[in-house]
Amino acid sequence: MPTALARSPHQDASIDLAVSRLVAEFGHRLDQQTVVGVVRSCRQDLSGSPADALPELVERLARYRLTQD
Amino acid sequence: MGYVDVAGVRFTLPDGRVLLDDVSFRVGEGACAALVGENGAGKTTLLRIISGDLSPDGGSVARTGGLGVMRQFIGSVRDDITVERFLVDLAPPAVRDAWDAVEAAELAMMEADDEPTQMAYASALAHWGDVGGYDVEVTWDTVTVAALGVPYDGCKYRGLDTLSGGEQKRLALECLLRGPDQVLLLDEPDNYLDVPGKRWLEERLIETRKTVLFVSHDRELLARVADRVVTVEGGGVWVHGGDWAGYPAARTARHERMAELRKRWDEEHERLVDLVRTLQQQAKNSPDMAARYHAMQTRLAKFEAAGPPPDRPPEQQVAMRLRGGRTGIRVVVAGQLELTGLMKPFDLDVDYGDRVAVLGANGAGKSHFLRLLAGQDVPHTGSWRLGARVVPGFFAQTHAHPDWLDRTLVDLLWHGEPGRPGVDRGRAMATLRRYGLAAQGDQLFRSLSGGQQARFQVLLLELSGATLLLLDEPTDNLDVLSAESLEQALAAYDGTVVAVTHDRWFARTFDRFLVFGADGRVYEAPEPVFDEARVQRTR
Repeated sequence: MPTALARSPHQDASIDLAVSRLVAEFGHRLDQQTVVGVVRSCRQDLSGSPADALPELVERLARYRLTQD
Repeated sequence: MGYVDVAGVRFTLPDGRVLLDDVSFRVGEGACAALVGENGAGKTTLLRIISGDLSPDGGSVARTGGLGVMRQFIGSVRDDITVERFLVDLAPPAVRDAWDAVEAAELAMMEADDEPTQMAYASALAHWGDVGGYDVEVTWDTVTVAALGVPYDGCKYRGLDTLSGGEQKRLALECLLRGPDQVLLLDEPDNYLDVPGKRWLEERLIETRKTVLFVSHDRELLARVADRVVTVEGGGVWVHGGDWAGYPAARTARHERMAELRKRWDEEHERLVDLVRTLQQQAKNSPDMAARYHAMQTRLAKFEAAGPPPDRPPEQQVAMRLRGGRTGIRVVVAGQLELTGLMKPFDLDVDYGDRVAVLGANGAGKSHFLRLLAGQDVPHTGSWRLGARVVPGFFAQTHAHPDWLDRTLVDLLWHGEPGRPGVDRGRAMATLRRYGLAAQGDQLFRSLSGGQQARFQVLLLELSGATLLLLDEPTDNLDVLSAESLEQALAAYDGTVVAVTHDRWFARTFDRFLVFGADGRVYEAPEPVFDEARVQRTR
């Protein structure tokens, strides 16, 4: 699994930003580990998407999944 | 690299007439082939068959290398599509489909932001990347900067109808020439382009390594660019393997050869028929001859079944007879003439028999000058007058006659106009026949093609008995053969001609060149001048 996440540092940095924003948004009811897990699974589900669009797609999907939890 | 191979194509019009029959030709890799023929011969139909818009009734079209198509209407797009949509429509089908899928997914996300919709959007974006969409967007940026001087992001939502005809053409041409498609079909790519724009097009077509098949009526463009000429005539197609310079001779030689072959076939046919008749008589008396008679009958049947070779195509029936008449020596005299707000004062003397080409930038007032000489109300200062026995006849760009649109040709001829007596139906039809317009006699003016409208206007000039012809872009919509016919008619015309034109080939047949400069100065030049910049005015 972690190998699927081993992409360019640029992408991972963008995803880190998504994590920090989502933690701030959902931190009051979910712990950080859950948020990171959801973001990682979203990242994995969206592998194959264009690199430039990935951060936005991941954050959007993760926000939707966290809202549904 | 790509090629187009057309084999045995047949196309029938909805009314049952065969427009194209057994059309076969090949445009090989890297060739730049011109497609020529009379108005209505089937050039655009053939391009539409090659591009796959129309299915032929028989035969096949093979091509490789991706196909880029520029249609005739580009340059006159007046609906509300954007620059972005225009570029998407010119892209290869795979890119176009991927773009449509991304747009559909974006719209779906506005309605519902659930997981399946998001995954569909991600998948559409991935597909956009896979078909090279991101590279295409970079190309579009280059294209808009080259054609319009602004980056793609700055103009993608701009309405295409806000661009001039020339800008629309330039945008499409930049896009196709820089795009991935290796075979380009260009239907009148030079329409709406000014002369510097045409020169740019010529350079680009000469330097491109793509395979190009283009329709054009501009003989200068044909002469500079085409390395072979595909002719649509008589329901068939033939290819001249050389350039435009050798084309007229090749066409004449071909027609003579066809006529010769047909004549030989007719002679042989007559000989066989005579022989059969003779043998028939002899067979009555001799059983021996009966066998020969039957053999000869079979031979004649086979000969007739094989059919005659195609006859030479009928020559275009355009016979313009501009007669004119002797006038005073001075035909136009202008002193310090100035069209208000358009150009600086100038003096001009035009003598009987002069051929004056009026050249210069768009918007410099050339058409207004012609309208003034035609007696229309154009604001001006200074003086001008026409000489003794000078009767002006005015040929306007076709959109200048809104009152003609819903009338038939025979009706227009019947009623006449001030200075042009009406003629009865018989004479009207006879004259229309000379201009190749007999079949259109009862059609509305609006339903004619641009070339037919132009020919009709020349016909009206003939009937008006004008001794001074004022022609505003007369060759703009004429096919090559009609343009040559007009040139011959003007050469034989006993009178004076003043013509506004951007047609470089046509301009060479004139002997005086009056240039309306971009700075408002009007001067006479010894040679045609075509590179005056566009007039800039505060709006």
